[in-house]
Amino acid sequence: MSLRKRDEIDGVGGSAKLAGSPEAPEERVPGRCLSLLPWDRFSAWLHCVCVVGFDLELGQAVEVVYPQHAKLSDKEKTNICYLSFPDSNSGCLGDTQFCFRFRQSSSRKLSWHCLLDQFDRDLPIYLKKDPAYYYGYVYFRQVQDKTLKRGYFQKSLVLVSKLPYIHFFHIVLGHIAPEYFEKNEPFLEAACSDIDRWPSPVPGKTLHLPIMGIVIKVRIPTCHDKPGTTEVLQTAHQPATQISIALPTIHEVDLFRCFLPVFFHIQMLWELVLLGEPLVVMAPSPSESSETVLALVSCISPLKYYSDFRPYFTIHDSEFKEYTTRTQAPPSVILGVTNPFFAKTLQHWPHIIRIGDIKLAGEIPKQVKVKKLKNLKTLDSKPGVYTSYKPYLNRDEDIIKQLQKGVQQKRPAEAQSIILRRYFLELTQSFIIPLERYVASLMPLQKSISPWKSPPQLKPFNQEEFMKTLEKAGPQLTSRLKGDWIGLYRHFLKSPNFDGWFRTRRKDMTQKLEALHLEALCNEDLLFWSQKHSEVETVDLVLKLKDKLADGENLPAKPGTMEKLQTHIDSIILALPEDLQGILIKTGKT
Amino acid sequence: MALRELKVCLLGDTGVGKSSIVWRFVEDSFDPNINPTIGASFMTKTVQYQNELHKFLIWDTAGQERFRALAPMYYRGSAAAIIVYDITKEETFSTLKNWVKELRQHGPPNIVVAIAGNKCDLNDAREVMEKDAKDYADSIHAVFVETSAKNAININELFIEISRRIPSTDTNPSTSGKGFKLRRQPSATKRSCC
Repeated sequence: MSLRKRDEIDGVGGSAKLAGSPEAPEERVPGRCLSLLPWDRFSAWLHCVCVVGFDLELGQAVEVVYPQHAKLSDKEKTNICYLSFPDSNSGCLGDTQFCFRFRQSSSRKLSWHCLLDQFDRDLPIYLKKDPAYYYGYVYFRQVQDKTLKRGYFQKSLVLVSKLPYIHFFHIVLGHIAPEYFEKNEPFLEAACSDIDRWPSPVPGKTLHLPIMGIVIKVRIPTCHDKPGTTEVLQTAHQPATQISIALPTIHEVDLFRCFLPVFFHIQMLWELVLLGEPLVVMAPSPSESSETVLALVSCISPLKYYSDFRPYFTIHDSEFKEYTTRTQAPPSVILGVTNPFFAKTLQHWPHIIRIGDIKLAGEIPKQVKVKKLKNLKTLDSKPGVYTSYKPYLNRDEDIIKQLQKGVQQKRPAEAQSIILRRYFLELTQSFIIPLERYVASLMPLQKSISPWKSPPQLKPFNQEEFMKTLEKAGPQLTSRLKGDWIGLYRHFLKSPNFDGWFRTRRKDMTQKLEALHLEALCNEDLLFWSQKHSEVETVDLVLKLKDKLADGENLPAKPGTMEKLQTHIDSIILALPEDLQGILIKTGKT
Repeated sequence: MALRELKVCLLGDTGVGKSSIVWRFVEDSFDPNINPTIGASFMTKTVQYQNELHKFLIWDTAGQERFRALAPMYYRGSAAAIIVYDITKEETFSTLKNWVKELRQHGPPNIVVAIAGNKCDLNDAREVMEKDAKDYADSIHAVFVETSAKNAININELFIEISRRIPSTDTNPSTSGKGFKLRRQPSATKRSCC
């Protein structure tokens, strides 16, 4: 608590306090969230920190869970154990960083979840927490150590979190893990106590996060940011990294580097991800598999990838059977694997990306043809994309040329990534704008909203009607790309990504309708209405209004609407006989 | 006005009042029942010094022995280290000398060292003579003050003196206005400990 207060005193710090920045969260939350307990701040960022080691008799084992009271089911522990170590003996000597994702096996709520839900609301859709999954961010060290029986020191420090802030946690781990391996227990205690003093992860605010002698400055994006315009923190005043680091992003991966091995197929991969096709990435190490999977998932941003994805997946994973069974068609998931065993297990999958050994940045692989799946041998297959998929859209040669030129001119990798990200963004936007426009037309007209009737319903999504709009207002307005756009849309409308996207849109629009309805209701003279109606009808109205008041907190209504509603309720109640007043004031209050 | 971030760490034995000094400086308050620090706590305060703003990023380290090995993370990159002892406990002054040695061997080359003899309100129980401490501080070119976090004596002065000792960026026009480099210290400075 005190930390926040001090940050405020320190207003001179420039970016920290901008006009209009949201006030400190503690002051705007409902009463039941007011008091933070020890570890509440910590749990807003992390579920727990685990240390996974290798026991000669037990194999991989969770040695430490911090804080000690953090709950993990046995299944979760087993998953963490296996996912925190490189799967096959891929010779990951030295230090390796990667991340994985695993299913939460029992539901648990935080003591101040209401506050966290509030932050979640302001996040862009692709950064919202998935209630069913955790991320594990791993720093794995394997070094020769003659003093140990096994001959090797093998240990992972794992941050378990709901937050998909991949880059941020990568930096945090890179700072704390090497020191942890030298200093052990008290170090973890100190690091966790630092995290427990961090400000809440409020989107849109510059956060100063002190950890083990440095301050990491980050800004979590909001859903109100314009896509593609990452509000980069000022880095001009960047002092030595031993003092503070300002991160330009919390979640973005190095797109260009990740896609380099499959450079010529990026547009086809974009289609496969957009359509939620089953995809497996076979990579030589967990860091490459996880990076590639995360790059794939993010290439359709600002669209959210709604199916499951596993940046690193092993044969020990609790969903192994579910995902690899041959009795059903491959599921709509993206898996990143390293174990050669998967080449056989997933032979029946329609799209396989095989990444070879690490390529140095700046080297573009020679033109790799899309390969027939039947050519995929279980072991030692050449890098490339194995699929029989025919892309709907013609390939954009310009982006390939532009990036190739960048390589020749030694353009920095960050700049290449920005170009690639913008290309994907424009492509996704060209694709989604016609859908957005059509879905917006499903909203009933404002005049059809009557305060005395229930809010009107959204019109249903009609595929043929939508297809007709494409003639005049299709992607050709914003994209030069030719090809079978119609076919792509038809396929997309059947995909889980469309389903997830449309459900989210429908929910937003329904809430908007309810908000408009509520505003219309508040503009009526409700007291006058109640005086012209029977007591029973008035009581009924009051109860309904009270329900709306309780549900209304989450509606995107104009500011002041809820206050207006309260005033209406109060004045109607006051006009009623005294005995009824008493009863009505009490009802609905908890 | 240029804003400079200055990392400052506090070192010293457990219970000498490191956290209390920081609380007094940042919050201007005092709590006699403060809990022992775990690892280190972090606070900031910005002050104006001449035509610059100095934003102190203060790492207040734990005095307990079990956290001792973590100290390098906090003094690494520090512009200044405040080593605190308790004037009523002789042994805390010996610990201080060990910290000075460690900083000399492993600390940043141009770190400003400040020595604070805290709890000077408890003069009756004094075990460390002010003159002895002052002589020692002079011998290593360190800032020296006796402080009382409880009675707010010399706390601000301590930080002002640190600001004064930290080389101004003006001496190097290429870095001024564009952040700064802690290690870029004019060779003329003789006040640092090394």
